[in-house]
Amino acid sequence: MRTRITVGAMALVLLLAGCTDDAPQTAAPVPVETTKETTAPAPVNCDARASLRPSGATPAPGKMPARSYLETIQKRGRLVLGTSQDSPLFSSRNPFSGKVEGFDIDMGKLIAKAIFGDENKLQIRVIPHADRTTIFSDGADTVDLVINTMTANCARWEQVDFSTTYLETGQRLLVAEDSTVDGLDDLKDQKVCAAVGSTSLANLQKAGTGATARNGWGECLVAFQQNEVVAISTDDTILAGLAAQDPFAKVVGPRFTEEPYAVAISKQHPDLTRFVNAVLDQSRRDGTWKTTYEKWLGALGPAPQPPAARYR
Amino acid sequence: MTTLLAQHPVPGGRGALRRAGQLRHTSPGRLQLLLVLLLVLGALTGLVAGLTATSAAAGTADLRDRAQPLLAEAETIYSSLAEADTIAAQAFLAGGLEPAALTARYEERLAQVTTALTSASRRTPEGSEAAEAVHALAAGTTRYAALVATARAANRQGLPVGASYLSTASELNQQTLQPTAQSLFQFASREVDAGYEVARSSWWLILLLVLVVALTSALVATQVYLSRATRRTFNLPLVAATGLTVLLVAATGVLFALQRDHLRSAGEDGSVPVTALAERRILALRERASEALTLAARAGDGPHEEDFTAAQARLTFDDPELLKEAGLMRQARAQHDAYLALHQQVRELDDNGDYDGAVKLAVGQDSTDAFAALTGTLDEALDRRRAVFDEEIHQAGRGLGALTILAPLLVLAACVLAALGLRARLEEYR
Repeated sequence: MRTRITVGAMALVLLLAGCTDDAPQTAAPVPVETTKETTAPAPVNCDARASLRPSGATPAPGKMPARSYLETIQKRGRLVLGTSQDSPLFSSRNPFSGKVEGFDIDMGKLIAKAIFGDENKLQIRVIPHADRTTIFSDGADTVDLVINTMTANCARWEQVDFSTTYLETGQRLLVAEDSTVDGLDDLKDQKVCAAVGSTSLANLQKAGTGATARNGWGECLVAFQQNEVVAISTDDTILAGLAAQDPFAKVVGPRFTEEPYAVAISKQHPDLTRFVNAVLDQSRRDGTWKTTYEKWLGALGPAPQPPAARYR
Repeated sequence: MTTLLAQHPVPGGRGALRRAGQLRHTSPGRLQLLLVLLLVLGALTGLVAGLTATSAAAGTADLRDRAQPLLAEAETIYSSLAEADTIAAQAFLAGGLEPAALTARYEERLAQVTTALTSASRRTPEGSEAAEAVHALAAGTTRYAALVATARAANRQGLPVGASYLSTASELNQQTLQPTAQSLFQFASREVDAGYEVARSSWWLILLLVLVVALTSALVATQVYLSRATRRTFNLPLVAATGLTVLLVAATGVLFALQRDHLRSAGEDGSVPVTALAERRILALRERASEALTLAARAGDGPHEEDFTAAQARLTFDDPELLKEAGLMRQARAQHDAYLALHQQVRELDDNGDYDGAVKLAVGQDSTDAFAALTGTLDEALDRRRAVFDEEIHQAGRGLGALTILAPLLVLAACVLAALGLRARLEEYR
């Protein structure tokens, strides 16, 4: 029994080491509840960035293969995208038009265009942050895919399939303009906001700050502006969108995690995952990815190389 | 006998008691005892008659001037808060700059909440649960208004965080303010029930009845005794005193019978339907808010749609307490069905991916008119029932004030007459 636990714990350490996005600098402490994970069938040597390889030639728009899930979507006439409407620059509501728009929405449009030949055959369905991994579990296909600044990690791979990485980000801090804070260490026991069910929240809890959960990133900004929290911490790409709305806020400190964003898809539909990977690959090659990056995230600097696709 | 008593003085009250005990053995002594008994009973009856009338008059006035108005204010606070939230959600749905008409309606509702809170604070006892609810609502409404104002300012500058301010405000409204307003409403409705209890003054009336029976019996017994002892069949002052007592019984009986009848009408045809209608109005508003919030959240059949279904299940128009407005309720049911049909269309459009079409229908003229028709009918029924209450409670209070003065006076007169009647007989023993 004792040896089994030791072996399990070692496997967990290996697992954590392999799972690069999971707070890389703090792999040492093993919380009690995670020992349970070792008994569950976990993917050996999980590489959270590696997805399913596209198979054969990509079908032309409007000609999805028979008896595939893609055909089901095509027959329905729209692709249902689960996302949020308060992640600025990724998926947020434009106050002028009332439309939800951003980098994530454009990724969804690319996929809709590849299926229908029409990027507007995309239905946006806002889902709670906390439901992003469980939404597929009832098999009801409430949404076809989730694109919502979602980090691919090994724990989530247990519940959903991820596409290849479409953006590399990392967690930083947003604080008041006149604050001297420049790292999580300065915020011990202070209130720091993150969205419910996000990896950012889990990272804050691990780091021992007074993690405060809100329903979304916009509500975190509200809490920050109402002096309910002293900082917001999440991926710098999201923070950039929040800071752009508040001239009295600034983004500080180094990236202290790696967050590879990927599209989440039900484990029941590997054909859709392979198809999405083909679409993403195409966008990396033909420059669409770069144009989209510049359109939404240009303020962060020149577009980097798109994340390279990794397959298992 | 008196010398004997003087030789053996017994200290204090026991001496008086024994002396009183000795009185019954002589005729003038018995008469003196009867006189004391009649005067004591008379004084008690007069006092209790006055207190009964005062209590009933004060209870009726309290019901009319405090409890029922507090209920109306609690209903205004609750439904105006719900409506402000609905309007804010609809303005958000409309996109762009919010329509001026919606802003005006929102401001109006918020002003109603503030005004109702001010008068409600005067009608709630200091330190009570209701007073705390009023304080919490006043503070919360200020915060709510500030959040909505910030949402508008952000919206004007095109900042997406405006939407988050609005959802924070909506959460405050739904999860804190509305439940508090609901508890104030329930408190006020318990106050109304208690108000009816006080206005009926049942315990005072029972006590008065016992005393009046005792007084009348004593008067009759005295006359029977006198007619046996003196061979005079009638003692006129005592007959008059009995007459006055009977008059008091008749006047009190008639007035209280009328008051109770009007109170019953005020309750059955006023307060009860008013409460039921107010609850239905709030349920209808909750449906409308849930519809807008489902769309604003873009969540499909989310928790807000479940709220809609829950409110719909409770929104009935054929309950026994609404029988007096059966005509208007039939109309309200038809209007509600029409609104439900539109809501069904909104849900179908949204579920089939036509979000823009769903929004357009939900905030469009058809839905707005259908819903306004329903609330208009409910408002009409509410106004009619409030008028019935006002009329009945006014009637119930009539004459009670006069009784407060007249009842003690009548009893006083009866006492004087009784004393006169007995004194004439006592004189005969001098």
